[in-house]
Amino acid sequence: MAPKDPGGRVLELPVQVISPADVHRLSRELESLEDFLAQSAIRDPGSRMKLPSSTKLLDELAAANSFNFLRDGDRQKARTFLESLSKYAPVVHISFASDPSANFMSKLTTRLRATIHPQLLITVGLEPNIAAGCILRTPNRQFDLSLRRALVGHENSLINLLKAQAGVNAA
Amino acid sequence: MNTWWLAVIVLGVVSVGIGFVWLIAKVSSLQGGSPDRPGDIDSATRKDIEHIFNDEFRSELKNRGRLHFEKIIGENAMFLQQDLRLTTSQLNDYMKEEITAKLQEEFAKYEQSIMDAKQLAIDSITKTNAAVEEQRRTLSTQLEKEIAVEKDRIIKEFEENTAAIINHYLLEAIGDQIDLSDQLEYILSGIEANKQAIVEDIKSGS
Repeated sequence: MAPKDPGGRVLELPVQVISPADVHRLSRELESLEDFLAQSAIRDPGSRMKLPSSTKLLDELAAANSFNFLRDGDRQKARTFLESLSKYAPVVHISFASDPSANFMSKLTTRLRATIHPQLLITVGLEPNIAAGCILRTPNRQFDLSLRRALVGHENSLINLLKAQAGVNAA
Repeated sequence: MNTWWLAVIVLGVVSVGIGFVWLIAKVSSLQGGSPDRPGDIDSATRKDIEHIFNDEFRSELKNRGRLHFEKIIGENAMFLQQDLRLTTSQLNDYMKEEITAKLQEEFAKYEQSIMDAKQLAIDSITKTNAAVEEQRRTLSTQLEKEIAVEKDRIIKEFEENTAAIINHYLLEAIGDQIDLSDQLEYILSGIEANKQAIVEDIKSGS
């Protein structure tokens, strides 16, 4: 079930937030910000204090959902949203032959969220022996979309071609 | 023939011995004498005889007899010696001939035995060679069959595994050559093809 804000608006998950680890990282950052603001409220007026720098992920989350994290209500919404994501967001595991680039993951995440689920989270693994393609694992199933699988699936065609070629050579 | 010669020689020696005995008996009878008539005539005759055949005469006769006997003995001994030499020579020749014949016969037997053994050995070797050749032929046939079976098995196994070998080779050869960015559409098309199953599994899992 997609998390929504109290007004019924579906909150948007930035494409840079890809894995559950990113969600946890955002939650911790949000908690740090919350702590900082709570501490600043009880400090003496006029004392100097250094604002914590926010990460790009947090900025993207704020920008995507028009949050102002100085407002308590927006922080609460974001925290609830992240908690909801941790608990309910669908997670798929995708293994690639090599380590994917950030740009590749952004494109893939965008397409998967548009196709499968808007809050889909992705964990990435490495499986060098598949050569190309990927292996996608959902909670209960595995989808082998690798080149290895494709080649194995076409073994009969390959054998038929080889036999035909052998027949031509023999003739 | 030699046995006859030996018998003749022995007969000669025996006859000489008999003659010698007869001569001694004669001489003894001459020495002893015998009374012919009684009376004077006898005694006169005896006296004359004793006068004529006195001891000297008898001694002379003995000497003559002894000389004659020695001569006969010498001659016979010479003959006997010649015969013995001849016999010895003939015996030697005979022994040589017999021994040579015997040796030749034994050598012939020995040679025949060797030839038989040789023939047996040749027969045995021939049989062994034939058996070895048969065994070799059998082994060769069996080996050819096994090689053919093994060849068929390898070909069949190769045919069965050809695809896997080529797949493995392709994966090894191009695994590092394909950029992940170039695979995006391929991956997305695969996901799109399994979209329904993925969505259903996510829904059932969450």
